[in-house]
Amino acid sequence: MNIQKTLLLCLTVAISSQVSAHSRWLLPSHYTLSSEAGEWVTLDATASNEVFNVDKALSIDPMTILTPSGKKTRPSSAYKAHRKSVADYFIKENGTYKITNNATANYFSRYKVGDTQKRARVNKEALKALVPSNASNLETTYGLTRIETYITMNNPTENYGADGKFLELVPNTHPSEIVESEAATFSFTYHGKPQAGVEVEIVRDGARYRNDPEVVKLLTNNKGEITFTPKKAGRYLLIAEYQQDAQNNTLADKEHGGVFLTFETQLQ
Amino acid sequence: MNTLKHHAIHFTLLVLTTLLLTMPPASQAANNNSATLSMKLALKQQQGEYHPPYVAAWIENSKKKSVRTFLLWREDAKWLKDIRRWWRNVGRKDAKLVDAITSATHAAGSFPLSFKLADDQQNALPTGNYTFYIEVVREKGGRALLKQKFELTNKTQQFTFKETAETGAITFTITP
Repeated sequence: MNIQKTLLLCLTVAISSQVSAHSRWLLPSHYTLSSEAGEWVTLDATASNEVFNVDKALSIDPMTILTPSGKKTRPSSAYKAHRKSVADYFIKENGTYKITNNATANYFSRYKVGDTQKRARVNKEALKALVPSNASNLETTYGLTRIETYITMNNPTENYGADGKFLELVPNTHPSEIVESEAATFSFTYHGKPQAGVEVEIVRDGARYRNDPEVVKLLTNNKGEITFTPKKAGRYLLIAEYQQDAQNNTLADKEHGGVFLTFETQLQ
Repeated sequence: MNTLKHHAIHFTLLVLTTLLLTMPPASQAANNNSATLSMKLALKQQQGEYHPPYVAAWIENSKKKSVRTFLLWREDAKWLKDIRRWWRNVGRKDAKLVDAITSATHAAGSFPLSFKLADDQQNALPTGNYTFYIEVVREKGGRALLKQKFELTNKTQQFTFKETAETGAITFTITP
């Protein structure tokens, strides 16, 4: 029992060291739409630790919109303000759109010089060439972080656009059918296979205005699933992280996958 | 020219469909069950800026699946999503049904209504457990979701929804 607890603690510490960066999200003006002629939506992109108050603008250069008919497209216009980027898009087709703001997989290194923690966006090889001779605690992670959301016009479709790379969230409960006081289930895959032990946090909008941020923490089971029952209607941010030793990659020590999903929980 | 012809055909079809749908239940396909649900729908007077509410009334079976939408009072499709539960579970999944049952909104008042207790295809409902829902949503106003479970048997039953901010007390009767 004690050993299990210690192991769990180690695991938590290992993961939380990874989660030191800001949360990031795409927050759409609408998750659910009804229309015969189409509707404009606007999306905010920001990095912030206060759900859903904006803090630092997130570049939306990599933003991709996967339409219900499977076409990949871009926002029709966008601008970058100090605390958020904003993108506009006209939703015309019936069905579910998946909007992502994922960079490509990249290397991220940390090291120490004396007591100072330093970072560099380079692989292990490049890092060795870069650091001074007294550098210590060199560690390189190779990974992909997904920032995503779903918008549904009229009838929902299962347009989840999985690509089998790093960590992915595959909804069992459709994102447009999450309802207060009803159980919802999401699956997580790592390199396309169900992954146990993915650490998931779910936070409801408005953390600034309550003392307890009411973060729900979950771990995926052997099927890679989590099930949760949101108590209140509102907008939510889900943060999922998974890390393991690097596989067949001499340029990194660890591999990492992250997912930031925003979704709405509807009234009953 | 061709388009005009098509429009004419469509129009004729539409009229026929409308006629079929508005014909009294008795003239529908043979059906020995004539159970009805009747109610007096009470939409409350409100203070200040007032937009007539969007209203849906429907029945879900014991598996939470909608079997019949009795009424849909609405204007622009843009606001259908605000009839949250009905839109999520029923409306968005069946565009034809939405077209077929749509009628205009009504300002506050009391509306005596009676419906045949049949499914959306006009087949009699089997005995069993159901939930009757009324959802009322008003722009710049509130929302009310009224629900009442009932068991469809061979007995007459009466239920009353308590008054809400959007609705007056509503009594409904199920007559087998």
